[in-house]
Amino acid sequence: MKLRIAIGSLAWVLLITCLHVQLNVGWARLVSIAAGRRELIVGFLPVT
Amino acid sequence: MTKNSEEGSFFRSQKFTDWPTVKEALIAKEIGGAFILAPMAMQLAADDVPIKVVHLGHRDGTAIVVRVDSGIRDFADLRGKVIAIPSRYANQNILMHRMMKTWGMDFDSMELREVPPPEHPTALREGSIDAYIVGEPFAAKAEVDGFGRVLYHTKDIWEEFISCVLVVHEDLIEGERELVAELVDGIAKSGKWLDEDLEHRMDAAEVAAELYYFQPPELLKYVLSKPVDRVKYTNLAPLEEEFDEIMNLAVEIGVLSEEIAFSEYADTSFSKPLEELDWDMDRLPPVGGAGTEETTR
Repeated sequence: MKLRIAIGSLAWVLLITCLHVQLNVGWARLVSIAAGRRELIVGFLPVT
Repeated sequence: MTKNSEEGSFFRSQKFTDWPTVKEALIAKEIGGAFILAPMAMQLAADDVPIKVVHLGHRDGTAIVVRVDSGIRDFADLRGKVIAIPSRYANQNILMHRMMKTWGMDFDSMELREVPPPEHPTALREGSIDAYIVGEPFAAKAEVDGFGRVLYHTKDIWEEFISCVLVVHEDLIEGERELVAELVDGIAKSGKWLDEDLEHRMDAAEVAAELYYFQPPELLKYVLSKPVDRVKYTNLAPLEEEFDEIMNLAVEIGVLSEEIAFSEYADTSFSKPLEELDWDMDRLPPVGGAGTEETTR
């Protein structure tokens, strides 16, 4: 029973983490950062 | 802007809805670079904000618009009228004063009123202003909706008009020079690609409309093709004589508090000749497969 609870908890944490990465970070960005690639954020207004 | 450059660096665009917030984000280093108004970049540098202009956003792409049923036929007819400008720090403001000088008019000949760009077409339609000068797509918006008429395109009154410029933090130029070079190369390459073929522009309009501008694709297609030189994306290296002219006019009308040397706010070392730039791509992938990421604030 304890093992099933532990596995269930772990699965839940993994699911939440994956959803967080998907929604708030993005997989491409995560891979870039993990690979030590550089990042630059550029601001703009939608007007020429 | 794609997520990853050919070299693998990660570029992310962040959309803003007003100029003061972009300025604050730059000062706070929440963003590494931004497309901002040319005179605003000069003023930030004059205020010791460590940024440098490294490239232009585009050429032209601004128009003076009046109501389609207006009796205004030339610039002299704007005397005594209310004209909306996007910002006191916009080059559109400088242009209006430059035109007043050209036409022998005093600077108080008309009322220039600061209005956020998206509100220009509505203000004209409702009659609270007589004309407006703004960057696209808000000039074309009144035309497409049938109540506005272009009095002048900037290409016809100030050749190679500069509106937005790309600025980056000086510490990025010093510490991440290759990253800035990648960004500038990418923008220059995409500009060359845009100006090569009308079909490229139509593809770009579809992508930009859905992912960045949140405007109907037809409006952006109109902007990029009616006429095709309404806005241009080549010849984007910052040139000292052009910026000096803007700076001198800005000082004359009190937009800039003091003169500032070109070398204090611009770095031209990232601009390459067009022949050295090539983008091995013909058409853009459909929206959804473009691999873009963008946030808004």
